[in-house]
Amino acid sequence: MAIRLEHLGKRYGRLIALHDVSLHVEPGEVFGFLGLNGAGKTTTIRILLDLVRPTMGRASVFDRDCQTQGREVRAQIGYLPGEPGFYGDMTGAATLDLLGRLSRHRVDPAWRQTILDRLELASADLRRPIREYSTGMKRKLGIVQALQADPPLLVLDEPTEGLDPLMQEAFYDLVGEIRRRGRTVFMSSHVLPEVERICDRIGLLRSGELVLVSTVKEVRSLAGRRVRVTFADDVAPPDVWPPSCETIGITPRLWDLRVRGSLGPIVSLLAVLPVVDLDVQMPHLEEVLRKYYASEARR
Amino acid sequence: MNRATAALVLHSLTRIRPLVIAISVVLAGFQFLLTQVAAYLLRTQAFGMLAALVPEFVRSLAGPSMLAFMSFTGVVSLGYFHPIVLVTLLGLTIAIATEPAAEIESRFADLTLARPIARAQVLARTIVVLTVCGLIVLGAMSAGTWIGLACCTPADAPRPSAAIIRALALNLALIAWCWGGIALALAAAARRRATASGLTGIAALATYLLDYLGRVWDPARRLSEMSPFHYFEPMSLIGGAGLSARNVATLLTTGLLGAAASFIVFSRRDL
Repeated sequence: MAIRLEHLGKRYGRLIALHDVSLHVEPGEVFGFLGLNGAGKTTTIRILLDLVRPTMGRASVFDRDCQTQGREVRAQIGYLPGEPGFYGDMTGAATLDLLGRLSRHRVDPAWRQTILDRLELASADLRRPIREYSTGMKRKLGIVQALQADPPLLVLDEPTEGLDPLMQEAFYDLVGEIRRRGRTVFMSSHVLPEVERICDRIGLLRSGELVLVSTVKEVRSLAGRRVRVTFADDVAPPDVWPPSCETIGITPRLWDLRVRGSLGPIVSLLAVLPVVDLDVQMPHLEEVLRKYYASEARR
Repeated sequence: MNRATAALVLHSLTRIRPLVIAISVVLAGFQFLLTQVAAYLLRTQAFGMLAALVPEFVRSLAGPSMLAFMSFTGVVSLGYFHPIVLVTLLGLTIAIATEPAAEIESRFADLTLARPIARAQVLARTIVVLTVCGLIVLGAMSAGTWIGLACCTPADAPRPSAAIIRALALNLALIAWCWGGIALALAAAARRRATASGLTGIAALATYLLDYLGRVWDPARRLSEMSPFHYFEPMSLIGGAGLSARNVATLLTTGLLGAAASFIVFSRRDL
């Protein structure tokens, strides 16, 4: 198992930051860790890195305990913090060299150059002090320092925060390549389209509790597909809809439906009707998760 | 020292280098200047006049150490206990010792401690940097003294012995180590460098004043034994007495206790 959290909890005085969180991440998986700000994503990540100690439960990485075997665990991890604390007076190159020397895995210059090229971070940029970097450039440097030693597990806290859309694309491609190299990625995010695009599974934290762990595909299926049927003539809706159908809007020539599961029953129903057009839309992750987010926001 | 600790030490030394060089040059220059002042006073036979200018009650209050100070050796040695030198050296010590708190505050610790580095290595790095910088500054001060004595003082000047200068430098190193240990302990617990350095600075000032009070006001004498500065006695060293074992042990132990506390606190805390 790449990551295993067992009944993990963390309290700060009276504040419960995490409560009884259990999940596992398989090797080679890209796992998205979701939740609103303050939900406990960063606390969980910091427990994995032994920067924060849990008040209950345990966390392990590649079957090693994050607290008692912290150094062994961290030797397997490349970490991108939410807000990397680079020294402004150091150059990008000096920072990468220093952090590379602190890693147990030797940095392969060719791999580092590949990442730099993908993220369009030029040698001239690396020779400049970091205080001259834009937010996006600092983010890119953060990604490079996390990836450069090519560790088996990448823990990325809001990795695309501050990146422009082109660089976000470059990052998604990079994650794809990392996955092909057999690495595991555990990333926190609140950008749902991003998670939907690159993650195999997701976990959703709400006020420190894990309320959902599922594959992206399963989560999408929870929302159901949106089906819009346009008719040539006026059509009366049936008295009884198939159980998997939910009506969103019905007019004589347009039915707007949500269908969970198989489309078979609705296709059978439409077979005898004067259908002009049938539009089936795949659901978005956002549609399912919005209700979880909304209920947390109300708290 | 392993590769990672060496990398951290090199990184810290590189960052602190301009400050250490500047302080070393200024303090070495100050020591050199003092030798020239002492040489001038000797040439003009002014030591006697200076001693005569000191009121009787001050002389009796300060004891024989006052007379030792009003000598060629006393003036040459002034730099090893002058309040400005003390403030400068303790300021540098606190700046170095509070680096762990600064790294937590700036979140640089998130980058370093997310790698296979033990928290103890971060503190060990700080102790190594403290030692190296202390040696550089004290070495520069001693060099300033010896260059001044060797090149520009009268041949018949009653130069202080190497043992006295060594003892004074060691005395200064011990008080710096003591406060370094205290600052390190506070830095290991703090989230902000300003908190750790501010608390150490206030404690140093308060205990300095307490020690002074203990010397001039009998009822405060007992309480002043709690001040590290009570165990910093340069005047007796100028007078020829060696370093007191009690003083060395107290300052060394206080620094060691601070360092030990820092390792315990830092290993247990959330970052």
